[in-house]
Amino acid sequence: MLRIMNSLKTMSLEISANTPASTNINSIRWRRNPRKPIWKGTAKSKIFRVPPRTVIPQEEADEIKRLYNKYKTEMKTITRFFTSKYNIENQQKDDQDLNKKEFESDLEACMKLNDEWNAKQKVEREASAAVELEKSIQLAKERRKITEERRQQRLNEAEEIVRREKVFAKDFISPEMLDAAIEKALANPVDHNFALDLEGNKIVGYETPPLPKETASLKQ
Amino acid sequence: MLIPASGTGQYLAKSAKIIRFARKGCANRPFFHIVVTEVKRDQTDPVIEQVGTFDPLPNEYNEKLCSLNFERIKHWIGNGATVSRPVQELLGLSGFFPIHPRTYMQAWRNRRSQAEAESKNVESESIQENKV
Repeated sequence: MLRIMNSLKTMSLEISANTPASTNINSIRWRRNPRKPIWKGTAKSKIFRVPPRTVIPQEEADEIKRLYNKYKTEMKTITRFFTSKYNIENQQKDDQDLNKKEFESDLEACMKLNDEWNAKQKVEREASAAVELEKSIQLAKERRKITEERRQQRLNEAEEIVRREKVFAKDFISPEMLDAAIEKALANPVDHNFALDLEGNKIVGYETPPLPKETASLKQ
Repeated sequence: MLIPASGTGQYLAKSAKIIRFARKGCANRPFFHIVVTEVKRDQTDPVIEQVGTFDPLPNEYNEKLCSLNFERIKHWIGNGATVSRPVQELLGLSGFFPIHPRTYMQAWRNRRSQAEAESKNVESESIQENKV
């Protein structure tokens, strides 16, 4: 015979040969949330208790069996129905096929419409492009004209300035005339350090000797 | 920490799922959540999804209140979840499933015991009358 011992500390199962007299099987509880401690076996008072066997009358047993058969059949159909309707795999397959077809037909219709619109748009675009080209040419011409006018105007202004400057240029001192001009300036000193009286007469003679009376009383 | 009602439970795609009760409440005050879990999980473990509640203690109007999310139950049954017997009975009473045989058995056994009790009463009364 075999003696089965359950070592709780090491949690290992020992099997050893033994005599029939000491045949002993210790059962232990094994639950996740034990109501009683895990190492306690059947209570002493309950070891030899034999629970009374439930007797179901034949008539009732038949009825129960009939009910269960009916219930199981109905449940099978219900489960199958839910599987066909709600199972993810089935749904995905169906959806994919349907989606592909729908997508293709939709794409075809869209492409047709798109081509129509493109043709219509092409005519319109060409017409408008021609008009725009004409417009822009016109605009460019106008701009050119304006630019020409401005350039002409600037040229005229410049020429005017040149003409004016030429008139003044007669009095300019050229390098050849420089010595003569210096001599002339030295010969005719000008006194700017003068005063004015109330009548506007220039009164010179602060540093230089006063001029003769005829020249000094010149009105400005 | 309280577990959120809608699904923190980790689960495998192909593992066996079951719709069953998970006992909440406290000592002497049972209250059940109807949950979808993996079969091997403990009832205290986080669940995949809660699909209803059941209060087994009748309220002041003698009602046992029960709530069920039929859409999700349909979905889970469709995707291979089984249903435990107590929940099957509840779904049967709610009209979602056919009435479970256990319900019929419970009913006729209750009726029988009631009839027996009544007949006993009648007998005892008649005996008392005879004595008087």
